[in-house]
Amino acid sequence: MKTNEFIFLDGGMGTMLQAAGLPVGMMPELWNLTAPEKVTAVHRQYVEAGSQIVYTNTFGANRLKLGEKAGVDEVVSAAVRAAKAATAGTNARVALDVGPLGQLLEPLGTLTFEEAYDIFREIVAAGEKAGADLVVIETESDLYEVKAAVLAAKEHTDLPVWVTMTFEATGRTFLGVSVGAMALTLDGLGVDALGFNCSLGPKQLMPMVEELRRWTDLPLILKPNAGLPDPETGAYTITPGEFAEEMREAVSLGVTVVGGCCGTTPDFIRALVGALQNVPVPGRPSADRRGVCSARRISEFGKVQVIGERINPTGKKRFQQALREGDMDYILERAVEQQDAGAQILDINVGLPGINEPEMMVRVVKAVQSVSDLPLQIDASDPAAIEAGLRAVNGRAIVNSVNGKPEVLDKILPLCKKYGAAVVGLTMDADGIPETWQKRVELAKRIEDACLRHGIPRSDLLIDCLTLTISAQQEQANETLTAVEYVSREMGLGSVLGVSNISFGMPEREHITVSFLTQALRAGLTHPIVNPNLSAIMDAICAFRALSGEDERGEAYIARFAGRKKDEPVRDSHELTLAEAIGRGLKTETRELTRKALETMSELDVVDQLLIPALDRIGEQYERQEIFLPQLISAAGAVCEGFELVRAGLAGKGEHSVSKGKIILATVQGDIHDIGKNIVKVVLENYGYTVLDLGRDVPPERVVEAAIREDVYLIGLSALMTTTVGAMEQTIKALRESGHDCKVMVGGAVLTPEYAEKIGADYYARDAKCSADIAKIVLG
Amino acid sequence: MDARLTKIDSSEVMRYLGVRGAPDPELLARVEARSAELMAAAKPRLVWRRLPMTQENDYLIAGQDLRNLLRGCREIVLFAATLGSEAELLIRRAQARDMAEALILDACAGSAIENVCDNFCADLAALAAPDYLTDRYSPGYGDLPLEHQKVLFSALNITRRIGVTLTESGLMLPQKSVTAILGISPTPRGRRSGCTHCPMNETCAYRKEGTTCEDQ
Repeated sequence: MKTNEFIFLDGGMGTMLQAAGLPVGMMPELWNLTAPEKVTAVHRQYVEAGSQIVYTNTFGANRLKLGEKAGVDEVVSAAVRAAKAATAGTNARVALDVGPLGQLLEPLGTLTFEEAYDIFREIVAAGEKAGADLVVIETESDLYEVKAAVLAAKEHTDLPVWVTMTFEATGRTFLGVSVGAMALTLDGLGVDALGFNCSLGPKQLMPMVEELRRWTDLPLILKPNAGLPDPETGAYTITPGEFAEEMREAVSLGVTVVGGCCGTTPDFIRALVGALQNVPVPGRPSADRRGVCSARRISEFGKVQVIGERINPTGKKRFQQALREGDMDYILERAVEQQDAGAQILDINVGLPGINEPEMMVRVVKAVQSVSDLPLQIDASDPAAIEAGLRAVNGRAIVNSVNGKPEVLDKILPLCKKYGAAVVGLTMDADGIPETWQKRVELAKRIEDACLRHGIPRSDLLIDCLTLTISAQQEQANETLTAVEYVSREMGLGSVLGVSNISFGMPEREHITVSFLTQALRAGLTHPIVNPNLSAIMDAICAFRALSGEDERGEAYIARFAGRKKDEPVRDSHELTLAEAIGRGLKTETRELTRKALETMSELDVVDQLLIPALDRIGEQYERQEIFLPQLISAAGAVCEGFELVRAGLAGKGEHSVSKGKIILATVQGDIHDIGKNIVKVVLENYGYTVLDLGRDVPPERVVEAAIREDVYLIGLSALMTTTVGAMEQTIKALRESGHDCKVMVGGAVLTPEYAEKIGADYYARDAKCSADIAKIVLG
Repeated sequence: MDARLTKIDSSEVMRYLGVRGAPDPELLARVEARSAELMAAAKPRLVWRRLPMTQENDYLIAGQDLRNLLRGCREIVLFAATLGSEAELLIRRAQARDMAEALILDACAGSAIENVCDNFCADLAALAAPDYLTDRYSPGYGDLPLEHQKVLFSALNITRRIGVTLTESGLMLPQKSVTAILGISPTPRGRRSGCTHCPMNETCAYRKEGTTCEDQ
């Protein structure tokens, strides 16, 4: 595309169509079919005003919004025809306009990434077939949705892809996407130009343009509104002349593709073209910031960034069990706990024999993204698992890892390039790990060359010089440190290092690990891979940052340590009984007291004689209204800690967990409220039941299918709204018709015992506690 | 007028949590801590329009209850408010960490969105003076069908303006969002009390126990 002159886009479409007589309440896209001449007339006005690219009237032309009204293919092709009729005989081009789907994607909504991709695929394929010259994805506030659209466009068309997103004055979108995260992710995915549209006027968007150009060298697009709307009437207020003047200032920051959005008309475009007539195309400084990101958070390169290593089954029986049982909650706790402890990137490794790694990778990546906004590192060796993970990531990830083997580099690097991922390169090859630092550096150079060959910039490569255990190979510590130093100082690359391996087999490992870590950081290590839950490690990193000056004025250090008490005495748990600890919802104490009990009692006895009776007592207090739901749930949360130890103990002995039976829980189709269902789940699990949580917005057939496949006798259904109780009734009916023998309990704010009976449920669960009572009756 | 979240009423939160009688001080402290957390995270947003009550705008009104409410009004006000995706994510994340705290946060958010709506109505009342406001009425109250959400979403361009989306079944995401209609009237309007016109109408724990919040 041209970068030595301005490219003029068009202005608002919706209001122009309304002015042309579009009936209130009618979808503007339908006019492509019923009144194409009117659509063409609007496009023509823009072309005559100087627009060199017009956007087709397809903002909402997706299958979700069109529904039964019209087919995507016919609407899109009619729209492209209508636009081409206006550009015929001119140099103006036609952009296929792709707007947001109007439904929230997972995790906040229920539309899946894969469904979104498929909906976009249909639109872009139709657009290319109809002869559009490029694809413009616009007015987006969800980076995940944009990613689905970009992948669909790149995988199903050969057209250039431009993206503009919509930001608030806070510098973020409605979904919290930051300017840098947009740039890192979309530049990585290979879009051809990016920028902003809608939301604000040119003046208000200037700070965001300034931010954007620090993160990307791609051509910048600016298509703002005609100022800010009057809140009372919704009307836009600035004149074409004022708009053009503001735009002239904004483009001085380096914007080359310009147009207007809401409230702008052909007059605005004419004024804009006039105002920029003799303005030279502005130069701009190169982007100077780089990193990896989620949609909301950036981990910037050039600083020490802690990678949390705990989402990894290697050598962890309990984690392996969680993976085999698909127990996402256990994995999510590991994510949240590491973020709370100060991790800045989360490593995700789900490799385990007998597990479908690509499938599990997608599941875990999506689940972790639902509770954490940390950038992710996809840790796998199977290319299929790596690609599955990179696709599912919302943001820009790191791939851990490649090594010096040419066949590995040739297989994995194209994936990193396609999805725009950063790369960890291990300094080893078919001959294993070299013993000298010089040989490791040689391998680092080989990996660097391969990256450059595949179009991956040096700034996106992190070298792992590999930590060996001093108890086995003492001299290797120094080789590793020297290699890190060379990679950092001489090659100017970032590096990762799994540090804790250094002390394996030594007593009081922490001393060795922390000392090695500190030396490695001094040698230039940028990305230590650690267990952030070990406070000695995070303390050392915090201290290092204060010494290196990265932590300006030591503010983070002071915040971490000022007021920290030395040897804070653990609350005197000798006095406390396990039942009391549970009753007060004290997690740490419950864990300690359970640990102590397990020294003298079997796992099963601890469950039957201590944990369950304590829960029962809490339940009785709740019935008597001595305590209320928050305290009941806190007690359940504390018991959970006890059960966790029991589970770990059993997993260690290779025994399966004790379960009193399986229960399905689901929030019914059409309903998206799930906190009530999640609370019931916690309580049931703490009474020893295995819960298969089907999630929310679950269609009847999925409940039936799961009930039969897993042979589940008790099904719990939740619905919060009157309007969705109908779906509950249908689900019960579907279960009965399937012939599967089961009992159904229902709950939710609008239900009553009478209503529950009317829709054919077996039990009405007033609250979470009551659902446990029902489970006891049904399953024992 | 900007969306304003100014306070979260602890006693209201306790009521949402089903707590009866004098609250346990430890629980109260937890509610206050979560309130502060939610106040810091939430980014309330608001979009509204003020329109004359004309034949042309009659499509904005549905159901007899709303018609009765707006009788004698010269203008109609539509608004939508949300605590934003930020509050929603905070609650989701809390669910992975501690379900009890998530439950409290959820109740705090319920109280917070009411506060944003109350503040808007107070600001609007000042703007409308010397005229008076009616109570606010939302799709799903009385005989105003949930279907009416679609009309409000289109009239206010809600998704584009404040990032709230509507599911096919008529529910809003982020969940802590409210849409409502009210009238501006030249004569004072009494508050409509009684359960029929309450947003908690169907989900009220008091009603299930055969009492009302006014009895408390």
